[in-house]
Amino acid sequence: MNHATPNTQHVSPSEFYDIYLVGVGGQGVLTIGDLIAEAAMRASIPVSFYPTKGMAQRGGAVKARLRLGRETVGANIAEKGADLVIAMEVSEALKAVRFIKPGGDFVLYGHVWPPTAVMLGKAPYPELEQVLEQVRGAGAVVRYLDPERRPLHEGAPVPANIFVLGAALGGTGLDGLLDPAAVQELVRTRWTRGAKQNTLAFEAGLKTMKNDQ
Amino acid sequence: MITGNEAIVLGALRAGVKVAAGYPGTPSSGALGYLLKMDLDDRRHVEWSTNEKVALEVATGAAWAGQRALCTMKMSGVNVAYDSLISVAYSGFRGSLVVYVADDPGTSAGMCEQDSRGFAIMSDMPMLEPASVAEAYELVQVAFDLSERTGTPVFVRLVTAISNAHAPVAVEKPVPPAERDVVLERDITKYTKAGAVICTTQHRDLIARLERAGELIRELGLNQLHLAPANTKHETRSTQHAPRLGIIASGVVSAYLDEGLEIAARYGLDPDAVSILRIVATHPFPAEEVRTLLGHCDTVLVLEELEPHIERGVVVEAHRLGFQGRIVGKLDGGQAVAGLSRIGEYGVEQVVHGIGQALDLPIPDGLFRGKAEAESLAAQRPITCCAGCPHRGTYMAINQALKALKLKKDDVMVTGDIGCTILGMNPPFYTIWNEISMGASVSLAQGFVYAGVQTPVIATIGDSTFFHNGVPGLINAVQHQVNMTLIIMDNGWTAMTGMQVNPGTAEPFQAPGSHRVDIARLVEGLGVEHFFVIDPFQFDESTATIQRALTLPGVKVVLSRQECAIQAQRRGLTAGEVHVNPDNCILCKQCITVTGCPAITLGEESILIDPALCYGCGLCAQVCKFEAIEFEREAA
Repeated sequence: MNHATPNTQHVSPSEFYDIYLVGVGGQGVLTIGDLIAEAAMRASIPVSFYPTKGMAQRGGAVKARLRLGRETVGANIAEKGADLVIAMEVSEALKAVRFIKPGGDFVLYGHVWPPTAVMLGKAPYPELEQVLEQVRGAGAVVRYLDPERRPLHEGAPVPANIFVLGAALGGTGLDGLLDPAAVQELVRTRWTRGAKQNTLAFEAGLKTMKNDQ
Repeated sequence: MITGNEAIVLGALRAGVKVAAGYPGTPSSGALGYLLKMDLDDRRHVEWSTNEKVALEVATGAAWAGQRALCTMKMSGVNVAYDSLISVAYSGFRGSLVVYVADDPGTSAGMCEQDSRGFAIMSDMPMLEPASVAEAYELVQVAFDLSERTGTPVFVRLVTAISNAHAPVAVEKPVPPAERDVVLERDITKYTKAGAVICTTQHRDLIARLERAGELIRELGLNQLHLAPANTKHETRSTQHAPRLGIIASGVVSAYLDEGLEIAARYGLDPDAVSILRIVATHPFPAEEVRTLLGHCDTVLVLEELEPHIERGVVVEAHRLGFQGRIVGKLDGGQAVAGLSRIGEYGVEQVVHGIGQALDLPIPDGLFRGKAEAESLAAQRPITCCAGCPHRGTYMAINQALKALKLKKDDVMVTGDIGCTILGMNPPFYTIWNEISMGASVSLAQGFVYAGVQTPVIATIGDSTFFHNGVPGLINAVQHQVNMTLIIMDNGWTAMTGMQVNPGTAEPFQAPGSHRVDIARLVEGLGVEHFFVIDPFQFDESTATIQRALTLPGVKVVLSRQECAIQAQRRGLTAGEVHVNPDNCILCKQCITVTGCPAITLGEESILIDPALCYGCGLCAQVCKFEAIEFEREAA
């Protein structure tokens, strides 16, 4: 049992790292979280992973929180508490703005998934520039990732979530905790099929982000 | 890594549980669901029961026979099970019974944001509240021992942020159920409630058992009291008297203490000067530890989610001790200044602002207040039916039948129920008006009829919900011959909570030795005169049948049958083949407006159907007026 007492040694806050993930059901947001959690475990970093369990359907808002470095930790991240936000969808990114720490990294994948009412022209959808302005306004470092830069594997675009995971390890604070090569190896060996396309996706994300800096 | 739900059942296995029963409900479903996926030895029995009350009674029978039993449910499930649970608590038993309840502060999954601790108080049941996934694994084992040693059912309460969170836990090997002899104890004074003497004696025994549980909890040291040294740096440094702070935290809130103390330290808190009482066993109230803390501190901060149960207890003890200091919490106006609200979850922000409030530290107001305006710009994403969901066809048919009868949707009451069927409340359907509790749609409709509603009254319910508590309502309707139409939407699974088996699930998916209960035979057996079965993917026929039902007198039941598309797709099935014919499509958007199917999007020249999502139900083709969607139904 973990006993919370005020006499535990206070470790430097820099060893703690909180990640807030958002996107739409079906984008593989929770898989990103799962992979980071697994990578942290392998690196002997204490981790808490808290995905939202909605209905078994696509198209709904999805979020997850990862808290790295603390043995005793509540699963929720406070507003202005996330060192890193990974947003897989433009409009959903807005829901994570509250949680980014000033100076934190905000990875925004520029995919647009319009809800039905938007498609029918009955409801508004935010402009990308509007979203970026909000993210910047929260004091975050914007790391925008253009979906067009996703490479093809055998004629089809590689999985977006692995592309984004690669990008998240390409220059945010996360690569100070997790070795990108170790995460890449985890991605390669995670599924029996698709090792090639997943590796390609990861490397492409990583390079895209590094080159943009 | 395991979830809190998984920790509960793994802990129960470690404790040698023999019988586990429950009913699915977010956020608790992952517990029994995990157990059912495991390869367990035959001496154990695990089941999804018809409802929580049934589950509790199944588990109780096992506990009364001297075995170890676990019962799982979400907070709303306790409302259902409680009729029996309180009675069981009054009786007591020889074996052990642990009731796992998952509360949902912040209501991530819907239903009332109720605090199940109130149930523990009313039935004098001990309640343990782990602060983490790892602690859940440990404490559920403690709960079994506590239950057995006191002869009383014990609650283990988690909240969503533990039950659905994943964390690394060192899990030990399961312990096989003990080879215990079955005990059949004949004692009508203990196991019946017939007579005043019996009942008052049981009440007296119940109170004594809770007291005994309190003693054991103290012996085990479950509630951890840490008293700061009397002479702290803080006091010696300061010439003025600094308040001596004591923090009382319960359940998940304890997990945020370390983080909160670190942050508060940046604003002048001396963490070594803080005394802490971590309450793990929230009931019975740990009065002794609270009194010790009150005697040691002059300011006490109470951190607990939802209702101020602990805080009230602290106020009572403070009064008895003549405590002169401050008690900071919800009753102290803490909501306004420190976010100590009866609504929603607690996190590090409540810890830090609570400390700030208690010690008058200069914690900035906006320390945890991010840019809220961003979220208001986000596109709304109302939850809707999956592509291929058979409920879509039923809502469309209800709406179309009303139109054919020249009735306005705003004039026709369609009561709703729990589960995926409630999605009919949302666009594009706007069919369903309300939702109370499992099975309520059926009886609620009868009240609308008696109230004098002149238009047809319709009740809608899913298959699992109908079995759960809808049947008594239908019996009532048949007995009193109420003029209403009940539409049972039978997709064969308890879908919304993650595809659990229910009594109506097809035979091949039932557990070995279990049998399917056919809703059709049940309804006929009740003597319903007008009974129809429809296929919701046959739009015109379904509409015509519902239309006819609405014009008949008395009780009408329409059974709308088609398997949940997610489950069928997992087995590689499709309902048919659907293709867009771009030449005919004029982008009128009728298919999207009527079906709201997430597989359909707007392209440049025509609508597009995502083949990866499409199940081939063909409902879009059946509403297209321009033959722009070609559809071939799968041969039955």
